[in-house]
Amino acid sequence: MSYKCSRCKRDVTLDEYGGVRCPYCGHRVLLKERSRDVKEVGVE
Amino acid sequence: MTEDYEVEFVEREEREARFVVRGITPAFANGIRRAMIADVPTFSVDTVRVVENSSVMFDEQISLRLGLVPLTTPVDEFEIGDEVTLSIDVSGPNTAYSGDIVTSDDLVQPADDNVPIIELKDDQRLEAEADAVLDRGREHAKHQGGVAVGYRHLQRVEVVGDKEEFAKEEPEILRGVIEDDGELVATETFDNDLTNRYPGKEVEVHDIPNAFVFHVETDGSFSVDELVTAAIDSLHGRATELKEAVQL
Amino acid sequence: MMVPVRCFTCGSVVGKHWEEFKARAREGDEDPDAVLNELGVERHCCRRMLVSHEDLVDVVSPYQ
Repeated sequence: MSYKCSRCKRDVTLDEYGGVRCPYCGHRVLLKERSRDVKEVGVE
Repeated sequence: MTEDYEVEFVEREEREARFVVRGITPAFANGIRRAMIADVPTFSVDTVRVVENSSVMFDEQISLRLGLVPLTTPVDEFEIGDEVTLSIDVSGPNTAYSGDIVTSDDLVQPADDNVPIIELKDDQRLEAEADAVLDRGREHAKHQGGVAVGYRHLQRVEVVGDKEEFAKEEPEILRGVIEDDGELVATETFDNDLTNRYPGKEVEVHDIPNAFVFHVETDGSFSVDELVTAAIDSLHGRATELKEAVQL
Repeated sequence: MMVPVRCFTCGSVVGKHWEEFKARAREGDEDPDAVLNELGVERHCCRRMLVSHEDLVDVVSPYQ
């Protein structure tokens, strides 16, 4: 859920043993999705 | 100071004005200028809660842009530190403008509706909630109500005679407002060059003591009149405070 | 990227003039000098904000 494969665009959950790799297509580039939390930013 | 002040407008619009003040010292003129820049509070976005931002800019960049949008600030309605909540929700393909900001208090709203915040492409969306806070320009430049506030000495022009026949033709550049024969003339009317106004004449330019030409612009938070009176009120307030403190 | 909201030097709000300036002087064939004068952007600090600006949203948006 927290990552997305950059090739097949599917949600990927990483575990300790699998390494950084998409289990569906084997692509090694994963993108981290933005958190759904509301982010508070101070205006400097 | 027992002398009476005299104020005369050269140019007067909602957000921009030029006026001559007579009978004030340079120190007092500078005090007014500084008060207009640093002491008149305006509302400005201070914290942003970003719910969704899939645009090409970072949350921090968007927040900064929201902070710079001037918000209307009614004088004497709020106190420093008061907060007003605003929100914005725009989906692409569209551009989010300052006019898309929704306010919880109609007294405080964007002064201009057409400042682009962020251009959103297909499937991009910006949803955020923001707290605007009332504070002074000396805390942060975004709270400055006065923009490009300044003053110059009022200058008097005197024609002292004709130029010699083969005198050098040098320009006589002046800026601002001059007094000519008791009349106030903006230097733009003669393209800032006195030789255009008095060709072939020998002229002398002198500062008029204790007369200043102010140029005041506001960012739209309030009118020039409100800015100037609020600045003077703040000076007056501090002078009174000092007087009372010294007497005790 | 997007037009600056305010002039870096003097703080006057220049962002509100961008769309008109772009339509008339960049995409249209009017003289930028005349357009800026008409918009009331008089100081050279504010003028450079619009004259030297380039929108980059279209350039970066393919990379998400």
